[in-house]
Amino acid sequence: MKPLNILVIDDENVICDACRLVLAEKGHGVDHCLTGTAGLRAIERGKYDVILLDMKLPDIDGTEILKRVREKTPAPCVIVMTGYSTMSNALQAMKLGAADYLAKPFTDDELITAIEKSCADLGW
Amino acid sequence: MTFSSKFENYFYVFTDIMRAMHSSTSLQEVLQVVVTKSADVLDAQGALLRILNKETNRFDVRAACGLGENYLSKGPVTTEKLLSEPTELHEVKIITDIWHAPRVEYPQETWNEGIRMIVDVPLAIREQMTGLIRIYLPQRRQFSDDELDFIITVAEQCACIIERVQLMENQQAQFDHLAAQMDKMSSLGRMAAGIAHEINNPLAGILLYSSNMSKKVPHGGPLEEGLNIIIKETQRCKTIIQGLLEFARDREPQKVPADINAIMETALGIVENEFRLRHVGLERQLAEDMVKTLLDENQIEQVFINLLLNAVHAVSENGNVIIQTAVDPGSNKVRVEIADNGCGIAAEDIKKIFEPFYSTKAKGTGLGLAVSYGIVQNHQGDIRVLSTPGQGTRFTLEFPIRTENSDVRVNP
Repeated sequence: MKPLNILVIDDENVICDACRLVLAEKGHGVDHCLTGTAGLRAIERGKYDVILLDMKLPDIDGTEILKRVREKTPAPCVIVMTGYSTMSNALQAMKLGAADYLAKPFTDDELITAIEKSCADLGW
Repeated sequence: MTFSSKFENYFYVFTDIMRAMHSSTSLQEVLQVVVTKSADVLDAQGALLRILNKETNRFDVRAACGLGENYLSKGPVTTEKLLSEPTELHEVKIITDIWHAPRVEYPQETWNEGIRMIVDVPLAIREQMTGLIRIYLPQRRQFSDDELDFIITVAEQCACIIERVQLMENQQAQFDHLAAQMDKMSSLGRMAAGIAHEINNPLAGILLYSSNMSKKVPHGGPLEEGLNIIIKETQRCKTIIQGLLEFARDREPQKVPADINAIMETALGIVENEFRLRHVGLERQLAEDMVKTLLDENQIEQVFINLLLNAVHAVSENGNVIIQTAVDPGSNKVRVEIADNGCGIAAEDIKKIFEPFYSTKAKGTGLGLAVSYGIVQNHQGDIRVLSTPGQGTRFTLEFPIRTENSDVRVNP
């Protein structure tokens, strides 16, 4: 798979670092932001293929970020992560255009599979 | 007193009592009116009213008039003495010899109180003595039939009102219990969501690092083994939290017309292996005339799996589990019973088994029955348990029979 530009938006440093470690080992470029505001700014500036988005952020609701990301062209692929894993949350995120859904906690393999699967679905 | 004025007097006394019974919400006020008026109408010195305390099986004084503190402080009367002649439940008992009547427990004190005659009027409901009005007279005298008839009528009305109030009090207690339960559930829901978020985040860090590291350590070595344990245990935490969320979410059931027998068969298909492995016998007695009713098949299946696994774990090898389903046209309900001949549930545990986090299993999360309880409630159903330690447990579930039409909102 070609190297991707990935942005992780999560208010937990340890999760950002862990995702970076796992994904960098697979040859992907990884940035991270700890707030929704910083995340949106980074999305405006940078060119990301994949966004790993925590649904519960301290400043902006994850669904709001998801909506804003979908307005961009070309829209990056968004994989939603949340600690409050319920079917309705997942469905809502998928309706808003998320490519996949990761219920915290997840393993490195689950993370990689989710990214590979989402990109394959998009024909990348 | 002339004939007509006597009846006029009865009439007024009776209306006073009836008015108190219908207007007052306090049982105490009613009882007070009853004793005062009963004493008045018989020109008595005083009266007292005792009601059976079901917990102590004694007749406690609940209202009194015209009697001294000394006398009243004598305490409750034992049931045996009052029930010595159970055939006379609806008859007035007149005691003229207070020194030798077995019903009079404190003859000396009674005599000292200036009492020379006692009239006992039983309060009975459905052949059960629930109380007694005792009327004390300062001298012996004869009673006319209509006086006795009158006092019996008052007692009958009084017994009815006591029963009604006790029923209402019971219902209130049950309602309070339910309300407290609901309150606990909703605050638990909020807490669960908070816990899920707070715990799943650190778990995400642990799981990502440990799963990543396990690939970098020597294969088959102690490091790999340790990391795999960390991975497995972290995933176990995730399962527990998911169960908690599941429980607290109070999900609206997606009801479709479903055959409860078919749901039971699906559930049995899933747990059958567990039965075989443990050599537990399984007996199906599924109703052939089962009707469809609106149920969320997945949720009900979850409840059945839960109860079946509990049953299989409760019995030792070669135990037996019996599953019965039935249609009750009378109450318009379908019923499911899962009975085992296992270890049973101790009396002190049985009240708590539907509470979240209550478990008697070493590895239980204490959520299985709590989740099941919530699901059944969301179906307007009922779940009951009957258990004898050492003999077995029977869970009974009932669901109202609903057809699609009754749940569809009709647009004008």
